[in-house]
Amino acid sequence: MSVNYEQILEALWETVYMTGAAFGFSLLIGFPLGILLVVTRKGHLLESEPISKVLNVVINIFRSVPFIILMVAIIPLTRLIVGTSIGTAAAIVPLVFYAGPYIARLIENSLLEVDKGVIEAAQAMGASPMQIIFRFLIPEALSSLVLALTIAMVGLIGASAMAGAIGGGGLGDLAITYGYQRFDTLVMFITVAILVVLVQGVQSLGNVLSRTVRRS
Amino acid sequence: MIQFEGVAKTYQSGKQEIHALNGIDLTVETGEIYGVIGFSGAGKSSLIRTVNLLERPSAGRVLIQGQDISTLSSKEIRTIRKDIGMIFQHFNLLNSKTVYHNVAMPLLLAKTPKSDIDKQVKNLLDFVGLADQAQKYPDQLSGGQKQRIGIARALATNPSVLLCDEATSALDPQTTKSILDLLRKINKEYNITILLITHEMGVIREICDKVAVLEAGKVIEQGSVFDIFSNPQQPTTKRFVRSVMNDELPESLLAQIQAAKSDNAIYRLQFTGTSVGKPFMSRVSRDFNVDLNVLFGNITELQGVPYGNLIVEFSGVPSEIELALSSIRDSDIHIEEVNNYVS
Repeated sequence: MSVNYEQILEALWETVYMTGAAFGFSLLIGFPLGILLVVTRKGHLLESEPISKVLNVVINIFRSVPFIILMVAIIPLTRLIVGTSIGTAAAIVPLVFYAGPYIARLIENSLLEVDKGVIEAAQAMGASPMQIIFRFLIPEALSSLVLALTIAMVGLIGASAMAGAIGGGGLGDLAITYGYQRFDTLVMFITVAILVVLVQGVQSLGNVLSRTVRRS
Repeated sequence: MIQFEGVAKTYQSGKQEIHALNGIDLTVETGEIYGVIGFSGAGKSSLIRTVNLLERPSAGRVLIQGQDISTLSSKEIRTIRKDIGMIFQHFNLLNSKTVYHNVAMPLLLAKTPKSDIDKQVKNLLDFVGLADQAQKYPDQLSGGQKQRIGIARALATNPSVLLCDEATSALDPQTTKSILDLLRKINKEYNITILLITHEMGVIREICDKVAVLEAGKVIEQGSVFDIFSNPQQPTTKRFVRSVMNDELPESLLAQIQAAKSDNAIYRLQFTGTSVGKPFMSRVSRDFNVDLNVLFGNITELQGVPYGNLIVEFSGVPSEIELALSSIRDSDIHIEEVNNYVS
């Protein structure tokens, strides 16, 4: 085998770090955007055609650029934020640009599942728009939101494999440089196996969490 | 008191304008149970939603306690909504929250102190008969129980008006009755004005004091439940009344009469209140030389007043029948000739 276990462990840590940090930042951006996407819709709490249109166009643009190209395209911005365009930390920036808009869409989707009648009941009891969002919409959608975020997390793990292209490291990078390019089947097998376990773990955790928050 | 003054609502659907409400004038007095009935698409749901501004009228005014609500700011609207409870056909409870939390929600929104919330919620759950279900979740309850939670929630802020949006339409007849009993109790005990919309005439008969019939966004008939039921004018109203009060001759009987080609006079007798108790048939038959044959009849109760409806065949000498009829009229019984059955 052309790599040692320490390298594998390090790559695992890099993957966890990259996806974890990117997930956190993406959530910070995607959650409010997802809520905005819902409430500015026609006939919704804070209907606003201009905000809704701009948001949709911008999010669609980011969602349509392939990740590998996005990564290269925003290198100047990455350099501005992180100070360098190479390395694990630098990979987080494009990952956030990739997952943020994705999470916004997923959250929009989950919140739209909430029965319109519940919102109407909330309005009828004199709730303000903020109260409706935080006391009605989010609690009612929480279980579905957790599942949606699990999907985003798994997507991020997959996308992080491409971070190797800018020296981001991680398991995906290891699998490509050692497993694929140097024909080391064992490295390929081990890294992919770890990724499979990681994804299974995240999905199971998401499922359990979703069930527990169904009733709060 | 709720007053609708020329209330209209127009929707834009593509290039088409839909007139959901076309100039509604109605007055709901304080403490009344007012029912609005209509087929689907008549505009009932738009009408009830103009009261708490879930829908804004395109024209006209809605006054609550004399105050025009359309001039209020959104903050003032939220305040006035706390004085108007609302219950829904599909209950609209939070499935992620316990029964207790659902009922407490309006109080939490109003930032009521915790101890007050606890007291109020317990009282309300007691009132609707679900004190032992506080820690359950809505999906563990039956439809009737869910509506009781909806009612408790609507009453949490001690409103003076309760809006019922097809509140019993998703319930079976037995449960409907128990919910209507509860609504009547609320009306009596708390003196809450109730405005309800429904497509079931049975609901109107059961609890309403007054009724308005809505068709194509217009009120086509309104009045006390007694008057509307005993003397409906419009075809739609008649259809609604017939849906719960069968005052038509059964087909088989009709066929029989037609086959007999009898030239006897057939009359519909409507009697109410005190005249119900009087043994007029045997008296008339004794005093005049006529035979009375009841072809069809029913006696029911409207707003606590007995109301009877009989279809009677009179046989005898025409002059005697005339005398008999005028004697019946004198005892406060409404008479109407029913010759269309035999023609």
